[in-house]
Amino acid sequence: MARPGFVLEVDDRTPPLVVHDGPGYRLEKFPLGTEVVYAPEALAPVDDQAEAIAAALDSPTDSAPLSELLRPGMKLTIAFDDITTPTPRMRRPDIRGRIIEAVLTRAARAGVDDVALICAIGVNRRNTDAELQQMLGERVFRSFFADGLLTNHDADDDNLSVLGGGEAGEVAVNTRAAASDLLVFVHVATNADGGGAAAMATGLGSTATVCSVHGLQGVLSDGAAAASAGRVVAAALPVFSIEAVLDNHIFGQPLEFLGKREWEWSIRDQVTWLGLRRALALSPSKTRRRLFTAAAGGYSVVGINAGAPAAVRAQSTKLLLQQQLVQMQGQADVGVIGVPEQTPYSIDSVTNPILAAWRGLSAAFSSADGVPFVREGGALVLYHPMPVEFSPLHHPSYVDFFADVLTATIDPLQIQEKFEAKFATDPWYSHLYRTSNAFHGVHPFHLWYRIAAARTHCSDIVWVGADRSSAERLGFRAASTLADALEIVSARVGRSPTIRYLHNPPQIIAEVR
Amino acid sequence: MTAAPAMTFAQQRPGGQDRPLLDGRLKDLLAGKKILMTGVTGFIGEQLLWKILTELPDTVPAVLVRQKGSATARARMVGVVKKKIFTEVREAAGGAEELLDARVDIIQGDLPNVPDLPADLDVVVHCAGDVSFDPPINQAFTTNVIGTKALMAKMLQACSDDQGNLVKVPHYVHISTAYTAGRRRGVIPEAPHAHSIDYDAETAAGLGMRDLIEAESRTAGQLATLRKEAEREHRAAGYLTTAADTERRRKEWVQAKLVEAGTERARSLGWTDVYTFTKALGERVVADLGAQIKVSVIRPSIVESSWLHPYPGWIEGFKMAEPLILAYGRGELPEFPASPDAVIDIVPCDHVVNAIVAVCATEPAVGTAEYYHVSSGARNPLTFQGIYGQIRSYFTDHPLDGGSRGAAQLPTWVFPGAGSVERLLSTSERAHGMAERMLARAPRSNRTRTIARDLDRARARLDFLRRYLSLYNEYAQSELQFVDDNTLSLTMSLHPDDQPIFAFDTAVFDWTSYIQEVHAPSVTAPVRRLDALRRKRGNRPTTMKDLSANTATDQALAVFDLDGTIMSTNVIEQYLWARLPELSTARQLGEVGQVLRRLPAYIRAERRDRASFLRAVYRRYRGADLAALEEAVDTILTPHVLSRLSPEAVRRIREHRAAGHTTVLITGAVRPLTRPLRPLFDVIVAADLATDDDGRCTGYLTGPPLVGESRAAWLQHYASQHGIDLRRSFAYADSHSDLPMLSCVGNAVAVSPDIPLMRAAGARQWSVVEWRIKPTTPRWVMPR
Repeated sequence: MARPGFVLEVDDRTPPLVVHDGPGYRLEKFPLGTEVVYAPEALAPVDDQAEAIAAALDSPTDSAPLSELLRPGMKLTIAFDDITTPTPRMRRPDIRGRIIEAVLTRAARAGVDDVALICAIGVNRRNTDAELQQMLGERVFRSFFADGLLTNHDADDDNLSVLGGGEAGEVAVNTRAAASDLLVFVHVATNADGGGAAAMATGLGSTATVCSVHGLQGVLSDGAAAASAGRVVAAALPVFSIEAVLDNHIFGQPLEFLGKREWEWSIRDQVTWLGLRRALALSPSKTRRRLFTAAAGGYSVVGINAGAPAAVRAQSTKLLLQQQLVQMQGQADVGVIGVPEQTPYSIDSVTNPILAAWRGLSAAFSSADGVPFVREGGALVLYHPMPVEFSPLHHPSYVDFFADVLTATIDPLQIQEKFEAKFATDPWYSHLYRTSNAFHGVHPFHLWYRIAAARTHCSDIVWVGADRSSAERLGFRAASTLADALEIVSARVGRSPTIRYLHNPPQIIAEVR
Repeated sequence: MTAAPAMTFAQQRPGGQDRPLLDGRLKDLLAGKKILMTGVTGFIGEQLLWKILTELPDTVPAVLVRQKGSATARARMVGVVKKKIFTEVREAAGGAEELLDARVDIIQGDLPNVPDLPADLDVVVHCAGDVSFDPPINQAFTTNVIGTKALMAKMLQACSDDQGNLVKVPHYVHISTAYTAGRRRGVIPEAPHAHSIDYDAETAAGLGMRDLIEAESRTAGQLATLRKEAEREHRAAGYLTTAADTERRRKEWVQAKLVEAGTERARSLGWTDVYTFTKALGERVVADLGAQIKVSVIRPSIVESSWLHPYPGWIEGFKMAEPLILAYGRGELPEFPASPDAVIDIVPCDHVVNAIVAVCATEPAVGTAEYYHVSSGARNPLTFQGIYGQIRSYFTDHPLDGGSRGAAQLPTWVFPGAGSVERLLSTSERAHGMAERMLARAPRSNRTRTIARDLDRARARLDFLRRYLSLYNEYAQSELQFVDDNTLSLTMSLHPDDQPIFAFDTAVFDWTSYIQEVHAPSVTAPVRRLDALRRKRGNRPTTMKDLSANTATDQALAVFDLDGTIMSTNVIEQYLWARLPELSTARQLGEVGQVLRRLPAYIRAERRDRASFLRAVYRRYRGADLAALEEAVDTILTPHVLSRLSPEAVRRIREHRAAGHTTVLITGAVRPLTRPLRPLFDVIVAADLATDDDGRCTGYLTGPPLVGESRAAWLQHYASQHGIDLRRSFAYADSHSDLPMLSCVGNAVAVSPDIPLMRAAGARQWSVVEWRIKPTTPRWVMPR
């Protein structure tokens, strides 16, 4: 039985604690009395992945076994999550590849010839060949890619199939998926509020469908839009859902100790830490960034569920809560969060200010029952340098979003009215999204809408060590140290606020009592 | 400062002759006389005219003015009398035109091509001359010797009958300079300088230098040297640019050689420079031609702003000491090669003008030229140490606006001597030259550009110092003492009523008041005004214009260069990207090895000629399948190309598209590599690889690569074909070879430029922008 998460109260014996600060770490001495929230330890992994996969496929929940759903002459489509989940990426072999191999074995046994694989990117960037190969394994990649049977989804394709209208709007998805006799969807579950049929709608849907879920109205609907889109997909398509739940070992060797509690570091961990700090200090910023954005995690699979999307989702969520939930007493006045360099949308790329803001603020609002760990009117202190740097390959629309949109307004409603349609239909962004590796033009909007809640909830959001101009552009404040940040927020929360540091990553879901 | 004794030197004139003095009010003495004057548009001439018009109501000034461009003599005179000092007299006459009609005779003409002069002239004042100390030798002789000769000849002709007999004895007043004494030392009397130079022979030789040097500048050797110099700087930009620069250099060389010839000739005969030398010869011309008439020669020393009239501090334009004073105030004159005890002989302009008027009213004996030193050194000396103290104290109390950095620190002079200053300067120049050579080899970056800008600033300062120090070096060490007894007697003989208006005793003022309260405030005022204006106006206009309100639409082009401007890459790298994927690992290594081995040769070719460099690299494409190459670009290279794009560049291109401009990409890169950029550009001009019947590249191009001047030619042709207005068009490029292309559009922008282009952009007031390109993958990572 793994140790559950816990809350440490800083006293004078507490050592300086690790805080993620973009492409680097800080050791921060927190004020006495600060509550530090540690994630639970990793759950026990499944003993044998092959067995677990077989068990899930052959005795699924609320569904006939997969083999019984397969028959000769049928059209089978396997869709899978793109490289953005999990972040950081999984070491080879990626669990998606193993599951899909098992599915393909059963399909071959059943005599299914017409099989296609689709990477469910939604409005994310197209995954590169290397990334597809990394996710699927060399054998699957080789068998399907050259024949054009392994593709990235294209949300701007004019010929998507309309499945029907939900409450949030029409749902249109990938034509191959819609025309299939069976859609197998392979999802890697690391997030309690993802997955399910909704993920199929956003991963395989048209831009309009994705926008109905991740757009401003979708975000404001508090999950209703996603559920509605998911229902339309589940009702219209024969779906067999497979979800692999990962533990929270996001640090691979030799950095595994970063997921441990500081006072439990071994001598070896401490030496590694010293060496790491020295190496980071000496390496140029580009190298440092590459180290972080390309690193792989040390995940294990803690459960594999298959069957009907809703039932599978419920099982995964239960496991994920077990893995990520930490109980805490009451809401704090000031929340502190370190923002790591890796975000799902900056793999092998640059974490621009918008991504950093989204990464930090979305982590802050991950809670079990809608009660954030910081009180309304409280303050958030985050760590990230927020440099004004963008990847021209991956984030062309972010450049213009930062330069044109955020200079005009930061209000989500106005941004949606004035700019979203223009970015969504911009031919250059669309061209880059469809033929290159760029995120779709609407992508920055979706992230921006999702941080709106934090902005209204908190009276002050201060970034420690951030580029002042970019923090200001985003409507935040910048401070050089934690002490300065606390000084800034003292006007709203007083001189002796309750401070709570979310020792993340790994992901922590707050359960406030 | 204590007042000097009234008469310091010889009370008695040698020879016992009486000095010509004044016996009445000047306005009466000069009533009804016509004074012909030259140089009225100049500094002294202008005030002289003002003085005559305001104080001598019955005197008629006749002015000899040359036409300047389209401005006739009259138009220029209207300009003169519209100046502030003429306000009172102009308004009294009812306007500028009316004043000229009523009071002034205008004769349009030039020196030495003097027109016929009116027969009724009584006095001729010749105060036209060069303001420069180092004119080319031919120009110095033309102005100071031939011009004087021509003027006097015409004057004599006007005063003679048809047989050439004088019918009237005019008074010729010649404005010379005290420094005609040349490199003599000690006391200089108010008398002709002793020398035995044949001015006609000297003049002929001086004028001859022009043809000689002009011919020499056209010899093959000289032209080759100049061409090589031009090529070093402009080879990349193309032949025509180089040729234009060669011709510019040749003209500069001729000019410099003529100046040098003048200086050397003057020094070989004992004068400081060609200005004082030819002025001295001019005095001799005056004495010779004026043997039959009344002649006076006035020798002012260094003429600076007025002491009292028209108002204290009146000055026109920048004279001798001002650039030095201002440079000191800006903290840019670290030391001066003067002897601290040498006298700087300054005289206020109004004293010179008053002296001229008084001399005009005298009646010197016919055949004996009278000499007058208008100078301060004899009785009211100001040493260099003294003026340094005055100026320093002035700027300490009234510093110049140093902008955001506050007032400049004023250098402390210790007068270490000319040799020491010269050593300091030449060491600095050597260090600068070394830094410049190192910089030429440094890789292009923001830091090298900053260094280059600093170096250019230092260069400008050094050039300034070099120029002024070499010009004034002689004067700063002169040990001349100009006797001014004649002048003093004359001012003392002024009628008591004329004293407040016309006095010109240079011992009456003290230097503290003159420098700190009159001269320095007056010469710094325009600079202060300009500084304030510059501060208010902010930055210079920019060619990187806001496009949101641009109305040129489809009449404008937006032309972009590829390598280094919108993308960080080079053709060798592009070649390896494009070529390596289709080769086996062993052959890949071989290919990279070969390219590396040839790299020095490529770099040499690049420095020599961009086109031949491109040809050399593209030769390597021989045998590549063009269709496969294009496919490789689409499938493998696109992310590589896009990740090296500058986000700012893409934004700018898209802004141009949104404004309706035709976007054009001009590059020497091979066409397949531009495929990922097709959606951004309406027109892409790139190098096309020639193929054989099997679609394999031959290693040649279908036409010459478009570099340097051919880009400008292409643009002009395209513009004429498509109704494009190039003046409203935009161009963006990063290297000096694109100068011709940038020069042919109205809005040129240098993007992260190399140093030669940065300098060209600065000279042409083009915007310089930094488009950062930070590829996320390192150079050596090959596309997979």
